[in-house]
Amino acid sequence: MNKTQLLQGTLDLLILRILDLGPNHGWGISNRLQQISKEGLKTSQGSLYPALHRLELRGEVRSEMTPSENNRRARVYTITPPGRKRLTEETETWEAFALSMRRILREGR
Amino acid sequence: MTRLIATLRGLLRRRQIDGEIEEELRDHLERAIERYRSQGLPPQEARRLALRDLGGLTQTMESTRDVRAIWLDTFWRDLTHGARLLRRSPRFTLTALTVLVLGIGSTTAIFSVAYAMLVRPLPYKDPERLVFVAEHQGSGIAWPNFDDWRHRASSFDGLASSLADAVVVTAGQFPKRLDSRSVTANFFGVLGAAPSQGRLFDESDSRPDAPSTTVVSYAFSVREFGSAAAAIGQTVSFNRQPYTVIGVLPPGFRYMTPADVYLLLEPQVAANYRGMQSRGNHTTLFAVGRLERGVDVTSARAEMQNIVGALALEYPETNKSRSSIYLVPLAERVVGEMAPTLTVLAGAVALLLLIACVNLASLLLNRSASRQHEFSIRAAMGGSRWSLIRQLLVENGLLVATGGMLGALAGAAILSGLVRVAPPDTPRIDEVRLDLAVLSITTLFSCACAFLFGVLPAFRTAGNRESLLRSGRSSTRQTSLLRRGLLVGEVAVATVLLSGSGLMVQTMVRLARVDPGFDPHNLQMVMFSPWGPGWSDLRRQAFFPEALERLRAVPGVEQAAIAYSFPILGSNWWNWFTVAGRTIPPGAVMMDLPSAGMVPVSEGYFDTLKIPVIKGRTFNRFDTADAEPVAIINSSLVQLYFRDEEPIGRQIRLAGSRPTEGYGPWRTIVGIVGDVKQHGIDQLTPQQIFMPILQQTRASTAFAVARTRGTVTSSAIEAAIHDVDRSVPVFNDRTVEQLMREASSRRRLAAIVLSVFAAAAVLLAAIGLYGVIAQNVGVRRREIGVRMALGATSDQILRLFLRHGLLVVATGIGCGLLAAVAAARSLATLVFGVTPRDPATLAAVAALLTAVTLLASYLPARSATRVDPVEALRSE
Repeated sequence: MNKTQLLQGTLDLLILRILDLGPNHGWGISNRLQQISKEGLKTSQGSLYPALHRLELRGEVRSEMTPSENNRRARVYTITPPGRKRLTEETETWEAFALSMRRILREGR
Repeated sequence: MTRLIATLRGLLRRRQIDGEIEEELRDHLERAIERYRSQGLPPQEARRLALRDLGGLTQTMESTRDVRAIWLDTFWRDLTHGARLLRRSPRFTLTALTVLVLGIGSTTAIFSVAYAMLVRPLPYKDPERLVFVAEHQGSGIAWPNFDDWRHRASSFDGLASSLADAVVVTAGQFPKRLDSRSVTANFFGVLGAAPSQGRLFDESDSRPDAPSTTVVSYAFSVREFGSAAAAIGQTVSFNRQPYTVIGVLPPGFRYMTPADVYLLLEPQVAANYRGMQSRGNHTTLFAVGRLERGVDVTSARAEMQNIVGALALEYPETNKSRSSIYLVPLAERVVGEMAPTLTVLAGAVALLLLIACVNLASLLLNRSASRQHEFSIRAAMGGSRWSLIRQLLVENGLLVATGGMLGALAGAAILSGLVRVAPPDTPRIDEVRLDLAVLSITTLFSCACAFLFGVLPAFRTAGNRESLLRSGRSSTRQTSLLRRGLLVGEVAVATVLLSGSGLMVQTMVRLARVDPGFDPHNLQMVMFSPWGPGWSDLRRQAFFPEALERLRAVPGVEQAAIAYSFPILGSNWWNWFTVAGRTIPPGAVMMDLPSAGMVPVSEGYFDTLKIPVIKGRTFNRFDTADAEPVAIINSSLVQLYFRDEEPIGRQIRLAGSRPTEGYGPWRTIVGIVGDVKQHGIDQLTPQQIFMPILQQTRASTAFAVARTRGTVTSSAIEAAIHDVDRSVPVFNDRTVEQLMREASSRRRLAAIVLSVFAAAAVLLAAIGLYGVIAQNVGVRRREIGVRMALGATSDQILRLFLRHGLLVVATGIGCGLLAAVAAARSLATLVFGVTPRDPATLAAVAALLTAVTLLASYLPARSATRVDPVEALRSE
């Protein structure tokens, strides 16, 4: 599997996971991602926005321009039912994948 | 559809979305800066770090927008990029476009003509069952023979006949002459034509007691009555007799020559018009038959052959020498002698398209070879294989689309030019139009070629990225051999076309030098028709001298005359005659008698046309009806029948329907005049007998001709005749000079077409040669550098590359000359004054082609001598 493809899929999954907790704007998602980064996964802020728009085009999130504090407008993203469905599916896939990887690595030792 | 709407909405909303993306990112950036500042960093540093985290504002905006971008955006970006690339290499673009325009334009034009004339079925019902029938070697049919044919033959579902004629319509201020066709009642039935209004002729219309009826063309009905429907039931006067319009043909209906009016033949035969009841009288009557289902042309011909053979035995007097039949598919007759010419032309042009594609391929291969570096870099920088191919597809598509469009325009221009210079009687010329199917095929052909040679190399490139940065040159070797082989073909085709055009140009030059026997310059001519009910010999004998007087009174007219036939236009009266004092052997048939073209002319005729008088006198105003009957003969007649005798003073008399029977009085020969090209510039001069028009006034069409000082219009001549009698129909469709031009129009067409295509072929061959040698020089730069470093002179380098060009040129010209000699037969009927294998022409063609192609190879070869050895060696 291609490195970028892996990362892309991971990023989508992470975004969906964050949004599953509640609607959020780009800045908020980015902060959550940074926390995750500290936990060992490296993502760049630059790739966040293309990913968000891609998810929106696929109908897995929807967005709305809403007024926010200090007179600014922010785009707030919300997860949609198809997004939630993908999240569930890919979470299962990931867990199965991770499980089998762990098993292989343990047995290989 | 909904997708399309979404796409369009996306396009419209793009500005808004762009704005929103920017707003969103700026919001993110400001929050990030705030956070860094709250950590105590100075504003500049905070901003720098925030931008770094985001990966740059513009970059992120671009990549976000890319997610939103739809295929139209990508396409548009590829398109503008492609256009920019093409603009940046104008030499490549121009050459490729020239090749495409020449190839697509010329092939589309010629194939459109060929398709209209040869392939598209005749516009009749089941046209493959229609045959054209004529007598012996395609000559006109005597009506009684036709009548016997249709009663005896069983091969036909129907056998009809018709002849082209003209009628005088009395309507408006002056009578008008219109083209008409006299047809048998079953004519339209045999062709399977359907009326657009009313009905067409049927058998009931040809009964002796039936009222006079007519069928008219769609154009005529609209012109005269406003619409086709309004024409039905109207009465029109043709030749001063009333006819009722019973039907209107569909627009564009045509059989052989165009006609406005269709009249029934049977009543004309009953009235013995043109002497049609006589079996010995061959008018321009031709038959068209619809074969019975299951009967083929060969068996129909065999049956007709038997019938004609039987008739020859039954009527030996008239039919002895007419014992064979002429029966061919109608389509073959309609296109007739144009077919082989067109086929040859279409073949040559197909080769031209092939050449164009070879050149295009060569250009594209060169281009992709020189761009391999660019491709490699793009691939190495992560450009996907698909984006590379997409870019190339768009780029080549742009090229071919532009070329195709310009080519279509060029094709339309060539086509309209062709139709304009084509002789007006060219078969089916009115059906010729730019054929969309042909255009799409030629364009598709070029597209396929562009794809094959412009895009496929990219697949290869994208396939092995690693090797490419090193070198991508090994593959060009075998393709260059192929290209050189194709070049030989190009030069050969150019040779064939060029020699054809050379022959036709020579023909035109020689035709222009032919002495027509009269002076065609500053002649004005109109035709008129002092004929019909109310026109007696006496009336004509009074009319002619008065008309001559008026004509000569027109300012600017030097001399004028009236005659019953006109040079170039042919003889309209050919007759046998006897010479006083020569005995006719018993049992002699008509064909044993001498014959000549008969031309009744007024006094002043030879003066007006400047036909030289060799001996004796010309006619004068005393040669009236009551004076002694006289005749003037031409040199050809003297050569043929008075070789050892003095003709002046001898008497001749026209023959009647039997050798021993006379027609008209004995005439004394009073003069001898020079020969005139009566039947056309390229024809032999016929023997002719001239008679005073006042002594022989009976004919339907007369010519009034005036020698002018160059300022008189034909309408002035027309007015002079109407001054004498307003009821005389006058018609003038062509000036004498037009007539002279038309006489060679078929050849001029061939000359122009061949020259245009020869020029295109030579140009394409030159481009091709240039391309191959230029590429060769490019590929061998390093070798040249080594050679020069080792002391090779620029002359030696030049010779090295010229040798390749010369070999190709020599082989190509050699093959081309052989092909030209073989193809010469197809030009045999078109050339005049030169043999189709004229060695001088072939030599000139070879010399010209050698010069052009040598120049085309010299230019790139010279650039080889300018290679800087140091640079060439270093660049590797």
